Amino acid sequence: MRAGRSSPGLSLASALVYLFLYAPIAVLVIFSFNQSRLTARWRGFTLLWYTTLWRDHRIFHSLMNSLVVATATTLICVVLGTMAALAWTAVGGKWRSAGEAVIYLPLIIPEIVIAVALVIFFSFIHLELGLTSLILAHVAFCISYVIVVTGARLASSDRSHVEAAMDLGADEWRAFFRVTLPLAAPAILSGALLVFTASFDDYLISSFVAGVGSTTLPLQIYSMLKRGITPEINAVSAAILAATIPLVYIAQRLERGSLSLRRAMASLAGIFAFMAIPVLVRTWPSSPNVPQLNLYVWSDYLSPRLIHGFEQAYHCHINYDYYDSNEALLAKLQAGNVAYDVVTPSDYMVQIMIHQGLLARLDKSKLPNVWAHADPRFLHLPFDPHNDYSVPYAWGTTGLAYRADLVKGKVDSWSVMFNPRYAGHILLLDDMREVFAMALKELGYSLNSTNPAQIRQARDLLLREKPLVKGYNSSNFQQDLAAGDAWIVQAYNGNMTFVMHENPNIRYVIPKEGCTISVDCACIPRNAPHKKLALEFINWFYRPRVAALFINDCGFNTPNLLAPRYVRPWLLRNTAVFPNPASLTRCQFMHSLGRAMLLYDRYWTEIKAD
Amino acid sequence: MEKVLQWFRCRPKWRVTVLVAGSLVFLVGLMLLPLMYLFAVSLAERARYGTIRWHFSLQNYLQAFHPLYLEIYWRSFWIALTTTMLCAVLGYVVAYTIALRVSGGWKSVLLMLVVIPFWTSYLIRTYAWMLIFRAQGVLNNALLWLGVIHQPLQLLYTTPAVFVGLVYAQLPFMILPLYAVLQKLDPALLEAAQDLGASRWKTFFRVTLPLSSQGLAAGSALVFISAAGAFITPDLLGGARSMMVGNVIEDQFAVARNQPFGSAVAFLLTFVVLGILLASLRSTQRGARELL
Repeated sequence: MRAGRSSPGLSLASALVYLFLYAPIAVLVIFSFNQSRLTARWRGFTLLWYTTLWRDHRIFHSLMNSLVVATATTLICVVLGTMAALAWTAVGGKWRSAGEAVIYLPLIIPEIVIAVALVIFFSFIHLELGLTSLILAHVAFCISYVIVVTGARLASSDRSHVEAAMDLGADEWRAFFRVTLPLAAPAILSGALLVFTASFDDYLISSFVAGVGSTTLPLQIYSMLKRGITPEINAVSAAILAATIPLVYIAQRLERGSLSLRRAMASLAGIFAFMAIPVLVRTWPSSPNVPQLNLYVWSDYLSPRLIHGFEQAYHCHINYDYYDSNEALLAKLQAGNVAYDVVTPSDYMVQIMIHQGLLARLDKSKLPNVWAHADPRFLHLPFDPHNDYSVPYAWGTTGLAYRADLVKGKVDSWSVMFNPRYAGHILLLDDMREVFAMALKELGYSLNSTNPAQIRQARDLLLREKPLVKGYNSSNFQQDLAAGDAWIVQAYNGNMTFVMHENPNIRYVIPKEGCTISVDCACIPRNAPHKKLALEFINWFYRPRVAALFINDCGFNTPNLLAPRYVRPWLLRNTAVFPNPASLTRCQFMHSLGRAMLLYDRYWTEIKAD
Repeated sequence: MEKVLQWFRCRPKWRVTVLVAGSLVFLVGLMLLPLMYLFAVSLAERARYGTIRWHFSLQNYLQAFHPLYLEIYWRSFWIALTTTMLCAVLGYVVAYTIALRVSGGWKSVLLMLVVIPFWTSYLIRTYAWMLIFRAQGVLNNALLWLGVIHQPLQLLYTTPAVFVGLVYAQLPFMILPLYAVLQKLDPALLEAAQDLGASRWKTFFRVTLPLSSQGLAAGSALVFISAAGAFITPDLLGGARSMMVGNVIEDQFAVARNQPFGSAVAFLLTFVVLGILLASLRSTQRGARELL
């Protein structure tokens, strides 16, 4: 008889906590078989998302990176960590406490702090970001697990076995391999499992120290999450769960000592093969010996057909990463240790980057298609008057998108964003310049205002609006609008193109007060490793059919005069992509703000933090 | 080879140094030095466009105490504290059941069921809640179908959503240490208390709780520290007013480009976390001493 009588209350409460633990997991697995794309209503069984997953090259590429990083991290940590744990028992005195402090450092410092410390340190020592920097960072935060876990086991194990072995004539080397190591093996193995999962699962530190072509699975999943919920993510999740459960089972049995080491190793090898074989099958064809081109562009500024087209035409391999704000791009380039070949900053950011000496001069003679087909409205703009450093890649406006079925009345003005009737249904871009542009326009000022009084007024207006705002989102606001999580959003035009096509209740307008018109430019960073191929890419992009492919696939417009000939008719009629030229006269380009930028920065933090 | 070994055998200090060296290179070179560099940056100044100017002052730390940021720290603090308390309550229920109410095979099954989510990707677990909380998500659909509500509730991008996500992510960190101490508890003590006439609640507060305080302190420290520095959960589930200190730090590095200020905030967070950890260690030691 256990303590106390049986209490149904406690059992019920426990059952509820288990329900809480497993309901989300069940939801994930169930909905990975759901036919519906957007809603969480059951629309019938399908394996479609698993086949989509199987065809998704990027997922497999990132899974490969994750396996490489986690395996290397585990090997390094286990070898070095076990060595340290073995010796640690012999360390004494003041060295011991100092060493212990260092060992516990990665376990107690918040992960975000480790992440930012590593990223500025890597920039400081000019270590190029990539798989190597990822592995180094992972070893740094994982090695302590092994030292602590194995160390605890070794400390509790009996020295007498080793002494007995040596008394029986074994030399130290042999005693180690025959006695110490087998005794410590379960601890080493469970330490290894811990390190493997910690490394495989890490998002935060990886997101800071990953570089070109080293996107790991969590980074890939995160960017998929940020850019839109698709059931493909459910399928990935279910697959990862399927691999995790046997792993936990083995780890648990190892812990209790009810599993022989050999069986454990065999099962682990089995699970690893289960994960690695599909990855090898899917990533095998891409041979690494072809020339590489590293692109770092705005989210949705590439499509599989574009990438494949260029790779075929120029026998090369494209690595690409996405960013969601000009400032994020600036941060990466300023750190100076990433090797991107083509980037697409917006107009005002081109000006800043030229000023900072981050961009290379373009060899204009290598870009004949650009000079032949570019729309002259987008050339020779003030931020780069002679197009020495930049040529236009895409252009667009930042306007207002809304659900005509949920928002009553005519919407043609920014003032709807300040209407308390829509409290809790408004999303703004997570973009300082754009949010201030909206407020400045609403107040009737220039969106490039450097007048402190006007900027302060804009801040006050935004602070008053804050209670109405549901969130700041630059990446998947169109999905929130489509799913009804928001009714009115500040939007980049191109993001709206496809959801407008799917749902006619979604509208995009250029407000009557005016808004931003922006041109995102193809530029080559000064330290780009493949400048020649980068120029070829930019020139190739200006082929009319390629430019049309960009419009058809990405939903953004590109300043190519001949492209509309090959664009799908419904896109030509879409007012988000091809707006009425008269409405563009109300739009304004952004300029670099100089010193006023500091004021904007400060106010933006105040608004975000409020 | 034999000679090398012989040499090391005669010099145990050298042997220890060589064995420890590998790990130390990583821990010092890629953990201690970066943190020291971070500290140096926190004393520097932001140049125009976000580069670092080596002009030392305490300006960033002063700025970090601006009321604006105090509010965010306060918010992070109470979010972390509430998360810890919720985890403690839920964690006790489960740990108590596993340790004292079930036996044999059930014990290991229930324990494994706690550990599985703990090993599953944090991102994926957070994402599951996004599916549940959407306007057309699982929860809203279920409530609409049951007729409890007639309009979808706005659940995603709110602070309660952040709570649920944090509690969900941190719960195993509370259950496991609690289970470890409750497992060692002698059921005879509880029986004795009840035989002597203590009610069930009284037994819990006077016997079980004090005897498991060490596990509670360890679990609370783990949960509080992770929750206070959370970044992913508020970023994915939180809305316009759920910014936490982790988001401030990330924002300063990735968006606002004020690395010195971001470093200063990061250091303040570290100091607070270390302080709480030391306090919890001390309290468990004192608790243990009182028991003896």
